[in-house]
Amino acid sequence: MKKLNLMFTPDKREDYNNQMHSLGRTFTLVSLGFIFIVPIAYLIAAKTWPNWTVLAKCIPFILGYWAIGLIEAVSYAPLLGTGGQYLSFITGNISNLKLPAAINAQTIAKVEQGSEEQEIITTIAIAVSSIVTTVIILIGLIPLIIWQEQIVTVLTPISPYVLPAIFGALTLVVVAMYAKIAAIPFLVCIIISVIANAVGFGLDVATMIIVGMVISAISTTIMYRIQSKKIAAKEKAVIATLTESDTKDTDATDAIVEDIATENIKENVVNEEVIEVEEITEEEKKE
Amino acid sequence: MQKDYAIIFVLGALIVAMIIAMSVFFLIKALRRGKKIGMDKKLITGAIRNSALFSIVPSIPIVVGVGIMMPALGIAIPWIRLTVIGALQYEVSAAAAAGASGPGATPTDIATAVIVMTLSILSGPIFNATFYKRYQGKLAQLRETNKRKMDAITGSLLAGMLAGIMSALLVGGAFGVGKPVTAENTGITTYGEVTLITLATSMGIMVICGILLKVTKQKWIESYALPLSILVSLLAAFFAVPVFAV
Repeated sequence: MKKLNLMFTPDKREDYNNQMHSLGRTFTLVSLGFIFIVPIAYLIAAKTWPNWTVLAKCIPFILGYWAIGLIEAVSYAPLLGTGGQYLSFITGNISNLKLPAAINAQTIAKVEQGSEEQEIITTIAIAVSSIVTTVIILIGLIPLIIWQEQIVTVLTPISPYVLPAIFGALTLVVVAMYAKIAAIPFLVCIIISVIANAVGFGLDVATMIIVGMVISAISTTIMYRIQSKKIAAKEKAVIATLTESDTKDTDATDAIVEDIATENIKENVVNEEVIEVEEITEEEKKE
Repeated sequence: MQKDYAIIFVLGALIVAMIIAMSVFFLIKALRRGKKIGMDKKLITGAIRNSALFSIVPSIPIVVGVGIMMPALGIAIPWIRLTVIGALQYEVSAAAAAGASGPGATPTDIATAVIVMTLSILSGPIFNATFYKRYQGKLAQLRETNKRKMDAITGSLLAGMLAGIMSALLVGGAFGVGKPVTAENTGITTYGEVTLITLATSMGIMVICGILLKVTKQKWIESYALPLSILVSLLAAFFAVPVFAV
């Protein structure tokens, strides 16, 4: 019975996650319902119909944004966490507000990547950010109705500079954590941007985010595989050294050693294990 | 020409209430879970304060975005559109594609624009409502079986995002020096020089904050570093635009 009570806080992380999924799905579907009613209500209130010809011409535009939305949903998911993902994809402004807010909170809190603490900090950051933005927009409507022209005239010229203002500082904070991984995608993105601009086809930030993520995923995969092979080879060598001194002539032991080494090559080697093995070798050498 | 209707404002109010309720609900759930697993209270209050502080300045341009869309679409629709999924550039592009980008937009143009705006943003939430749980389950499974791989994936996505954004801003800024670009749909002009000045100021303030934090050991600086960098660099942009607009 307790599981059905959404206000109940479960003991297990898995149960908590499931609860967040139930909540997220419910809120997403209800919000979508409300969002869908808006155009219908407008059609009824204005006693009009859409321009079907223009609407048909907009289909490629809509499909393009569907693709972007899907790519964003898949690629931002590991960064936003369960709660953050549902909230962000209802409240919007992800790359310019929700994600930087989450990264900022995580950096200051210094929580371990992938930990439950990180998930909680991220959800808190995105929830607070959503509330603040929604309230500011609501409050901002009043001066906007009265002084729309003046406000727009004064503040519009600086709106293209919000992203450089956020990401100049934020990149400095984050780059130290991911300098190794970021180097290759950054270089490749710079080259792509220079070529695109040189031929007069400047790529915007939204496009470059996707390009950057794809390049980064490829380069990190290559780096990860190389690193895994190195770790496995190191471990193989260590085990070989160990067994050579202990059981030199036992064929059966050699086979076991071979098996262990092959198993480890299958990418399941963690750094701690290597350090441990390295420490053992050091001790062996000393002995 | 009438562009706003009472029913749209009522719907807007309902959507805002919905978003606030969702955010508060998720916030409470996260706070309770944090308490349950014994998270430091200071860490949690810090996250709330930092996120609230951080979100103030970048939210102001969203209000300006409502103002930019107002002449064509009235006030209620831009308010709703910028409160829910999407961002100014998406909404303005959708409105432009539907032919509702100026004060002369007719109710038919607006209706078409609202439909295009609504349909364009559906894929993300639909993915969340249908496949996300399964997808997140796979991610969690990967994290359990191979944390190093999962950390590499998360790091690469974040690094890739930053690499993409920074390269677009840096190269776009450098190529835009002496060649301002005016967006067709919004009419907003971007000056390469101002982009670079804003970037440099933002980084500069962050470096100063970092040095101050190290020297004075005042932890509170950490919370204000990013909001301060954003505010000062936007002020720099505000004063730099007229210089290059001459």
